[in-house]
Amino acid sequence: MRPGTVRVGIVDYSAGNIQSIENAFDHIGARTQRVRQESDLEALTHVLLPGVGAFGFCVDKLRDTGLIPALERWALTEGRPLLGICVGMQLMADRGEELGVHEGLGWVGGVVRELRADPPCIRVPHVGWNDVRFTEEFGPFTAGSSADFYFDHSYALTAPTQGVALGLCDHGQEFTAAVRRGNLVAAQFHPEKSQSAGQRFLQGFLELSA
Amino acid sequence: MLKKRLIPKLLIKHRQMGNTVMPVLVTTRGYKGVRDVGDPVSQAKIYEANLADELIVLNIDSTPIAGDQLMLDLIERLASETLMPLAVGGGVRTIEDFGALLDHGADKVTINGAALTDPALITAAAGRFGAQCVVVSIDYRRGDDGAPRVFSGLTGETSHDPVEWARRAVDLGAGEIVLTDADRDGAGEGLDVELCRRVADAIRVPLIVSGGCGLAAHFVEGFEEGHAEGVAAGTFFCFRDQSPMQARAHIRNAGVPIRLEV
Repeated sequence: MRPGTVRVGIVDYSAGNIQSIENAFDHIGARTQRVRQESDLEALTHVLLPGVGAFGFCVDKLRDTGLIPALERWALTEGRPLLGICVGMQLMADRGEELGVHEGLGWVGGVVRELRADPPCIRVPHVGWNDVRFTEEFGPFTAGSSADFYFDHSYALTAPTQGVALGLCDHGQEFTAAVRRGNLVAAQFHPEKSQSAGQRFLQGFLELSA
Repeated sequence: MLKKRLIPKLLIKHRQMGNTVMPVLVTTRGYKGVRDVGDPVSQAKIYEANLADELIVLNIDSTPIAGDQLMLDLIERLASETLMPLAVGGGVRTIEDFGALLDHGADKVTINGAALTDPALITAAAGRFGAQCVVVSIDYRRGDDGAPRVFSGLTGETSHDPVEWARRAVDLGAGEIVLTDADRDGAGEGLDVELCRRVADAIRVPLIVSGGCGLAAHFVEGFEEGHAEGVAAGTFFCFRDQSPMQARAHIRNAGVPIRLEV
């Protein structure tokens, strides 16, 4: 799909760096709008679920919008493209273990756990640029290739039980850096902050169509 | 593996220009000796082209961010005209200030004086935004007895030892510490590697060290001997003959894992 024909809806639930994501899509020529209610989904080709904050806070905020059934229908029933970023990815697990145990959306399964710190080499939060190895082709990334992306998180998805771990990363332990279930894609890293590699990743997402 | 980070630091002052007030990029020496450099956004774009790993943006006037539309607008422009991670601070007092900066495109928020006067703010912000978003910046200088003591614009000099204060800030929920030796600020004579290592070894979160880089070798010392995850510098990146890319190559050749290409 050419950038000019896509329209990306960014779910606005007061728990995301929406501005940065809008800017990143703007740089690759894709139009964006904010999604606050179900009717906002109508004109869209792609949906983005951001997330910055503690797991419990984010999942509560998302539930408050009442958008979850519509998003589930979009991504799972209709198989249309949806990308989760950072906590937006974590919310797709069965549960998250940040500041208590919280039930997630269950879209990709698995559990979100705190990374183990082992200073001086392995520090948590995991902040900075780390290489992601792609297990299969995604957009311009070939299976087996790797690229540096920007991470900023303390919790990570163990292993998805639905779909595949699209990208793997090491920080004291191997964790799922990106996951894919059909047109449902999610990344623990921040493509919107990952300069050229991030733009290529977002382009890969925009190539998906239902 | 996780790469070590090179972090240009953009120090911002509000300057009256005719009838309007503008944010101007400056450098300092010993937290004084302010020298104007120019437009922060143009400089940030140069840093992005030179592969900066993230940016620290500090309002050194420390005007409360809540009423500082100029600073919020600047962050919004930096976030829209570059695609780099931004840690922003100076004048952050409340949890609402965190929200305002993040809404305008910051990825992390740094607090300094407010963390000293209201340590509960660290915990509240970490609970709301996650520890990865909460950066506690620690400035220190040495008194006549040679002991390093934490100070801030808000509190003046305190009795806190930087190692103890860093450990406590992390216990309270800080996800990252930025440690700056004010005496070395802008001098270009090297980092306080010894204290850097003592702080880094006392905490489990990443440490960014700053104050004193004048050579690429100083960055290497910060990583290898100081156990820092990131080295931040203002003056080094603003005024120098060697390009940041050459500095990166030097640091990589010394065996430090850093990014060399996008």
